[in-house]
Amino acid sequence: MAETSEEVAVLVQRVVKDITNAFRRNPHIIDRCHMYPAASKPRLYHCMEREHRSSICKMRKNQQRRLLGRKELILSGTLNPIKDLHLGKLALTKFPKSPETWIHRRWVLQQLIQETSLPSFMTKGNLGTIPTERAQRLIQEEMEVCGEAAGRYPSNYNAWSHRIWVLQHLAKLDVKILLDELSSTKHWASMHVSDHSGFHYRQFLLKSLISQTVIDSSVMEQNPLRSEPALVLPKDEEAAVSTEEPRINLHHLLEEEVEFSTDLIDSYPGHETLWCHRRHIFYLQHHLNGSQLSQAMEVDGLNDSSKQGYSQETKRLKRTPAPDSLGLEMEHRFIDQILSTCRNVEQARFASAYRKWLVTLSQ
Amino acid sequence: MKLYSLSVLYKGEAKVVLLKAAYDVSSFSFFQRSSVQEFMTFTSQLIVERSSKGTRASVKEQDYLCHVYVRNDSLAGVVIADNEYPSRVAFTLLEKVLDEFSKQVDRIDWPVGSPATIHYPALDGHLSRYQNPREADPMTKVQAELDETKIILHNTMESLLERGEKLDDLVSKSEVLGTQSKAFYKTVSFFSKARKQNSCCAIM
Repeated sequence: MAETSEEVAVLVQRVVKDITNAFRRNPHIIDRCHMYPAASKPRLYHCMEREHRSSICKMRKNQQRRLLGRKELILSGTLNPIKDLHLGKLALTKFPKSPETWIHRRWVLQQLIQETSLPSFMTKGNLGTIPTERAQRLIQEEMEVCGEAAGRYPSNYNAWSHRIWVLQHLAKLDVKILLDELSSTKHWASMHVSDHSGFHYRQFLLKSLISQTVIDSSVMEQNPLRSEPALVLPKDEEAAVSTEEPRINLHHLLEEEVEFSTDLIDSYPGHETLWCHRRHIFYLQHHLNGSQLSQAMEVDGLNDSSKQGYSQETKRLKRTPAPDSLGLEMEHRFIDQILSTCRNVEQARFASAYRKWLVTLSQ
Repeated sequence: MKLYSLSVLYKGEAKVVLLKAAYDVSSFSFFQRSSVQEFMTFTSQLIVERSSKGTRASVKEQDYLCHVYVRNDSLAGVVIADNEYPSRVAFTLLEKVLDEFSKQVDRIDWPVGSPATIHYPALDGHLSRYQNPREADPMTKVQAELDETKIILHNTMESLLERGEKLDDLVSKSEVLGTQSKAFYKTVSFFSKARKQNSCCAIM
């Protein structure tokens, strides 16, 4: 077997040529790689196409060498990065975790967005910048690849981290894409209730949506401050908003996620992942209420000349976001209901642990 | 969450007879599929053999859960699922399938039947539909009449065996498993397919 870098390059080119020819006949014939060691040559593996015509892939045991070879080919312009992504996609069907494959993939994507003269983002009216169609297609493809890899291996951290990276670097946390991802991964999450990484992804999406949503201070000014600590954005906020930007009701999103969590916990008792997820969502809600409250207090404080009555309260609330007492009450009732009706030992254990956590939160 | 197989069997006096089976081995690598299927048959038969009439049990083996229901009239059903699939729904499915089967297939055919001779085409459809437990059974959240406390839980396949019996021996002696499958068992155990490498703690 070849050892020098020239020989590697030749091998890689041959592989690429074989695959390219196969793809040229039909771009989507290879849906996955099934490999077994060919009897005659131990390091040769067969790639079975959907139509059972085989294309021989010389997969080297030394992954790094092979990937380095591919990088050189891309940089020299010999290998089209898109083709390399196709090849990587195939490899992931057999090795869905492979860290080197994911790392290489990010390198290729970075080449694509940096090297090419085509822009990835464009401005659109007063919506700010949004990803171009080309970038959107790339992003969509990456979402699919990650989704498939996640399905092939439980709690596939590498696949989900890659998915997050794509949203951060390719999609630049575009709100519409975040919302789409939130709704499109919901069903998958409900069918993989112990996939911790999948639920962590949803937490990332919600956190990003919160950070990307600018809380319009003018909105806060126009609405009267309520005295209860459990302040949420007033329902009549829509009237005050005049921009064309899609209004995200963060509270509604978080409430929906809590409902989703309740539904899953009820249907599938005894999954720690679901309870961990609930903690994160509750914490996000709690934090959102708190930060908005302190922001609101600040805005109000600026306008109010006699801060006397507020100042102590303001200082306390800014320091420790007040726990949403109504929300806490509901959570305790939920826990009571679970503990009184569940027959699953693990479920009872998780519910009790959750209760203890809630208590520490309000201290 | 996943269902891998659904089988109907008869617990005869002398041996357990497979009457009908449906499989979903799509998540396994192409070359492993036939062996995996054979193993699921082997496992289902073994579990029914070692379970008493009129009982329900769940046998855990690494990331798999085998749910069995042996009726008092010796008709039995086994569903092999992953550890996410809710057991309540699995037992509902078994109840439903055995009930339907007993109405469609004459009792006289049970002791001597085989998948080739038994006519019960609905099994594949049931397996496929129940892949999504909530679509198949919208009432899953409602406590079934089934008393869950009566379900026997086994933490390993080994706990079904007699003292001194080894699973390896049963595999070697099995008529259900082909030579390739037996060899396959030695190299890559069916049951360890989904085992995570280097996992010190598992999050459920």
